[in-house]
Amino acid sequence: MLPWSIGVVWFNAMEVVAWVSVWMVGWGTNSAFPLVGGYRFLAQGLAYELPHMFALITVALGAESLDFGEIARAQDGLWFVVWMPVAFLVYLLSVLAMAFWGPFGHPVGHDLAGGAVLELAGPDRLVFEAGRYALLVVASAAAVPLFLGGGAGPLLPGWAWALVKTYLVLALLVWVRHRLPVIRMDRFMTAAWVVLIPATLVQMLVVGIVVLG
Amino acid sequence: MGLRERLVRFAAERPRSFVVATPGGAGARLVVEEELRRRGWRAVASPVGADVLVVCGEPGAELAQAIEVVWADVPGPRARVQVAAGVRREAVARALDGAAAELADVPRQWADAAERVAAGPWTPDDSGDEMSGHGGGHGGHEQGGHAAHGDMGGDGDGGHEHHMGAPGGVAMAERADDRDGLKLDVLHVPLGPVLSDWPAGLRVSLTLQGDVVQDAEVGVLGGAGDGVVEWGGLAVAHLDSIGRLLAVAGWAAAAERARILRDDVRAGVDRRVEVERFARQVGRSRTLRWMIRGLGVIDRAAVERYGLTGVAARYPGDVADRLAGRFVEARKALGGGADVELDDPAALLRVLPSLLVGAELAAARLIVASLDPDLAREPVHG
Repeated sequence: MLPWSIGVVWFNAMEVVAWVSVWMVGWGTNSAFPLVGGYRFLAQGLAYELPHMFALITVALGAESLDFGEIARAQDGLWFVVWMPVAFLVYLLSVLAMAFWGPFGHPVGHDLAGGAVLELAGPDRLVFEAGRYALLVVASAAAVPLFLGGGAGPLLPGWAWALVKTYLVLALLVWVRHRLPVIRMDRFMTAAWVVLIPATLVQMLVVGIVVLG
Repeated sequence: MGLRERLVRFAAERPRSFVVATPGGAGARLVVEEELRRRGWRAVASPVGADVLVVCGEPGAELAQAIEVVWADVPGPRARVQVAAGVRREAVARALDGAAAELADVPRQWADAAERVAAGPWTPDDSGDEMSGHGGGHGGHEQGGHAAHGDMGGDGDGGHEHHMGAPGGVAMAERADDRDGLKLDVLHVPLGPVLSDWPAGLRVSLTLQGDVVQDAEVGVLGGAGDGVVEWGGLAVAHLDSIGRLLAVAGWAAAAERARILRDDVRAGVDRRVEVERFARQVGRSRTLRWMIRGLGVIDRAAVERYGLTGVAARYPGDVADRLAGRFVEARKALGGGADVELDDPAALLRVLPSLLVGAELAAARLIVASLDPDLAREPVHG
C-alpha cells in the first residue's frame, strides 16, 4: 500500500529515478555520444530539480498537505494556478526538462545524433521511448491536482474533468515540442539558479504569508 | 490478406531514412530530402534509428568505407539506396519505392538477418573490419603546442563514433590534465564524415575531455564525382546552410521551414517575401540568440590571418552574426544581387581547429554548421 498521505514526496522521489535511467542508458552503451548525452541530463537535473521541488513545496504549503487528494480539495473555489502562477510555470518547465522534451531535449539532442538513445534499436528503443512518454503524461496528469483544481468543473464527473485537463496540459507540451531551439545547460544553468530559484522562493514566501494570515 | 502481411505493409509504409551526403552530392541530397518530405518519410539523425540508408552522390574510397561501417549499424529490417549526383526526382522516387518493397520482403530480410548473425558481433581485433583503417590514423598522435597532452598518444580506440570501445580488448581511455588542472579521461572521437546535418566529407578528429574539445584535426574524405554541384542559385545554398544550423540548434520547426523555402526557391517559385518574413522570425528568437551568441568568434584579424572569404569574412563575429549574414546574402541573391565572392573551403578548414579547441561538443557542432564549408570545391587531403 502506497503511503498516499505523502503522495507529493513519492512523486518527486520516483521522478528523480529518471536521472539514473537516462544516465545509465547513456553510460551503459559504451559509446561517446550517448555518454555525453547522459551527462547532459545530469546537468539538466541540477538546473531544474531545485526550482521544481520549490514549486511542489509551494503547493504543499498552500494546501497544508502532501496528499494529492487533499491538495485538489484545498483548491475549492480558487485554483492554485491563479495565485501561484510562478510555481505553475516553473512546474511546466520542469516537466519539459524531466521528460527531456522539446526545448529541453538536449540529452537526446539532434547534434549528438540522438544522444543517450543513439545506440538503442528495436525493443530497447521502444521501452525507452515508452518510459519517456509515460513520464511526460504522468507529469502532465500531476499538474491537474497540483494546480488545476483536480476534478473540479461543471456538468462532467470528476474523472472526466481530470482527463480533459490532463489532455490540455499535454497538448500544450506537445505543441511546444519543435517550436523552440534546444536549450543548453551551459547557458541555462545561470538562469535556473539566479532567476528561477529566487522566483520560486518569493512565490513560496507569498504563499506562506497568505497561509499564516 | 493475413495479419502478418498487414503488419509488415504497415511497418514498411513510412520507413525512417538516414541520408548520407557526399562531397559533390548536394544536388542529389536536395532532391532526396524533397522527395522524403513529399512522402512524409522522416529523416532521422542516427543510423540505429533508421530503416533506409540513402547515399547521395558517389563516395570516394575512404568515404565508402565509412559508409559501410554505418550500414553495419543499421538494424534489420533495412534497405539501402544509392542515387547518383545528378539524379532526377523520378529516379529517386523509384529508388525509394524499391527500398520500401525491400523492407516488406520478409524472406529477404530474414536472409539478411541470418547472414549478420553468422558473421558474428563486431570485435576490435577483427582484421577484416573497416574500423581499423580509421582508428589507426590516431595512433600515437601528438600535437605541437599542446605539451600538457603529451601522455595521451597511442590510443587504440576511436574509429567510428558508434563504437567507442566495444567489449573485448579495446584500450581504456587515457588521462591527461584538463583546463582546470584536473586529471580527466581523454577520448578520441571523430565527428563525421557520416553525420546528419554535417558538411559532406568532413571529418574532424576531436580529442575530448568530458565534452570539451582539447584538440581538433580536420580532414576531408572526398567524393568520386566531378565535384560540380547544381545548387540552383546562391540563395538555395544559403537557405540549406541556414536549415542545417537551425537543425543542429535543435529548432526543428524553423529548420523545416528553411528547407521548404529552399526547395521552393530551387523550383523557381518567388519566395522573397516569405524568406524576408522567415529571417525576421528567426532574428526575433531570443532563445536562439541566447544559445548561439559568443560561439566561434572570428574577428577581422583572423579573417586576414587565415585568408577567409565569403560569409565568414563579410560578417565577422560569432555564430549568430554569420546566421544573420547568411539571411542577408540569401535575400540579396533572391533580389538578383550581383555575384559575390564564395567561401573558400580550404580557408574555412584552416580556421576551424582554432575555433573548436576549448568549445563544448554542442558548441563545436554549431560552429561547424555556421561555417558549413562546401567540400565539393576542396581537393582531398587527410
